Amino acid sequence: MAEDTHYNQAPRRKAEFIRPNNTLKAKVGSGGISDDILNKAQALLENHSADFLPLAELYLGALVKGIEKAQEPEFEDQSEYVISMMLYPTMQLKANGGMFHYHLITIIADKLIQFLEVIEKADLDAVEIIMAFHTTMRAIILGKITGTGGSHGKELIGALDEACTRYFDQFPKVKSRLDDYSKGKF
Amino acid sequence: MAYQLDRITVLVIEDNQPMLDIVKALLTTFGVGQVIGAANGEIGFKRYHEYKPDIIIADWMMKPMDGISFTRRVRGDEQGPNPYVPIVLMTGFSEKRRVFQARDAGVTEFLVKPFNARDLYKRMVQVIERPRQFVKADGFFGPDRRRRKDSAFQGPYRRDTDYQNPSVGGALQLKQAEAHAQLFKIRESSGIGKGDKINLKTRD
Repeated sequence: MAEDTHYNQAPRRKAEFIRPNNTLKAKVGSGGISDDILNKAQALLENHSADFLPLAELYLGALVKGIEKAQEPEFEDQSEYVISMMLYPTMQLKANGGMFHYHLITIIADKLIQFLEVIEKADLDAVEIIMAFHTTMRAIILGKITGTGGSHGKELIGALDEACTRYFDQFPKVKSRLDDYSKGKF
Repeated sequence: MAYQLDRITVLVIEDNQPMLDIVKALLTTFGVGQVIGAANGEIGFKRYHEYKPDIIIADWMMKPMDGISFTRRVRGDEQGPNPYVPIVLMTGFSEKRRVFQARDAGVTEFLVKPFNARDLYKRMVQVIERPRQFVKADGFFGPDRRRRKDSAFQGPYRRDTDYQNPSVGGALQLKQAEAHAQLFKIRESSGIGKGDKINLKTRD
């Protein structure tokens, strides 16, 4: 019989497997729901008139607070904290933008998340880029540019991409972190 | 025949009120009988005890208790009404490490925002039709974190069980018959019999 312990492997853990009763299935039965209902639900999602502006202002405001903290000398050594302060509202903008018809906000906020996830510190160069993202998103919200923004939206995304590329060219270490991130290693 | 969703209760935990309203409206349109709302994990936990929901849909980022802490609390609550309750976590994060973090907390399904009506419906179908077994181990209690890489894969696994699946077994037999026919053609055209030995010489 093989030894239970192995120097190069993590110790085996005892696990109990439980298969709970599927009471949910028993309650709802079979058959799914019709396409009509799904289309009705989708129409509801596409046509709701909930206002995104107050929420967006809240999250953009929180992003500004993070940007301000990043510029304060006493937070110079607390990059992780400062970055997380900016990451939270950005994630909210990404998540909620598209739910409230602002798909361009989702795309841009997603790019900012990618940027924030790979930078090691929120130095002056990084803050400049984050501010550009903020200004762009604020302009989109105030201009009520819903959807993807068409060719104008593409131009905005292109400009932000270029700014990020310039930063990554300047800091190859961050670029390699970005590559890892893109490959899902991060 | 359709799902009788009117028989179930779904608890939605979301601190963003307009978003909470949207998710509640979607579930009501699906036909869910009772949709309960909660503004954060703390209130959600009370509602969980109070209403014993069949499915929980929770946002990740909330204060004072976020979706991850809420999930840990539900899974670790021995006095709770149902520690096996399916929990769908909504979030803007889609990065691998975030998914792992949620999975390690005991989350059943992950729903990336922004989502559409079908995305939400798919998660519901997943927890209804393919409930995950639970694992109780040192430091972890929650749905089995191992997931087949391709859950939609319907093809053969090169196992005896393939033949027990009528759709896969049939396709496999057809494929084998085609391969035999092909082999027969090759043999016929080259004049090689079934039992003939072939000496393959390597080229210089």
